[in-house]
Amino acid sequence: MAGNKAGSTRNYWLTFAVSIALTVITFYIVAKLDTSGNFLIPFMIVLAIAQALFQLIFWMHMNEKGHLMPIIGIATGAFVALTAVIMALYWVW
Amino acid sequence: MSAPHSNEAVNGRLETATLEGRNKVLGFWLFLGGETVLFGCLFATFLALRNQVNDGPGGMDLFEFNIVAWATFLLLTSSMTSVMAIVEMHRGNVQMMRLWFIVTVLLGAGFLGLEIYEFIHYLNLGLGFTVSAFSSAFYTLVGFHGAHVAFGILWIALLVIQSYKKGLTTVTAPKFYVAALYWHFVDLVWVFIFTIVYLMGRVG
Repeated sequence: MAGNKAGSTRNYWLTFAVSIALTVITFYIVAKLDTSGNFLIPFMIVLAIAQALFQLIFWMHMNEKGHLMPIIGIATGAFVALTAVIMALYWVW
Repeated sequence: MSAPHSNEAVNGRLETATLEGRNKVLGFWLFLGGETVLFGCLFATFLALRNQVNDGPGGMDLFEFNIVAWATFLLLTSSMTSVMAIVEMHRGNVQMMRLWFIVTVLLGAGFLGLEIYEFIHYLNLGLGFTVSAFSSAFYTLVGFHGAHVAFGILWIALLVIQSYKKGLTTVTAPKFYVAALYWHFVDLVWVFIFTIVYLMGRVG
């Protein structure tokens, strides 16, 4: 229940800084580095997932009490979404 | 316990002070789980069809990375301002909450304007919706996200207008909280669109 304390506001700004930094890093490595896609694409997706987790945990308050059901809900959605991606990439077309 | 329309925060958390408020937040999270599936399927379709350009232009012939980078910055900042609105809501400061939400709406409108400009630009370069499997998958995925932004702008703008009349109560607080969750989710989807649609196309 520390959401209205100054400490938690710091976490929101931290998430903002992390999001900007990860976006800039992703943009930079794609624009400047001459690396093969086999390495770069998984790396970019890991950075995107890291940014998404930061936003879920802090901006969307998942670190606060009473968020078990929201975590189950989003995790289930993410599982189905991932299944759809794998299916479309390797089975359908 | 507490009066149902009290202006005093209960345990510092107005949005979960009533059973209805708690259920709204829970129900909204389950809705976001469903939205994840919706966007997951659109991403799956795009990933599978992104190289099927059918003599039409491909992503690398088109994408304006400067516009996309600015759009990303605007949406990311708007997600930050909407969390600040919730911070002010928890402090019981309606005026500041309203101000942060208005900034959120303006940044969202800026994002939407850039996206509309971008789509018109691509259309002029020959990327119609029915030109190729790539173009259909691209417009459906990015357009669906844009529609979510448009809806969010309308929704938060209406809530801001309503806040002048109804203020901050156990009835209105869950609405603001849930609208902010929605806005964060829309920004979260953009993180993946930015990476998978725009940047991955550049890597190959």
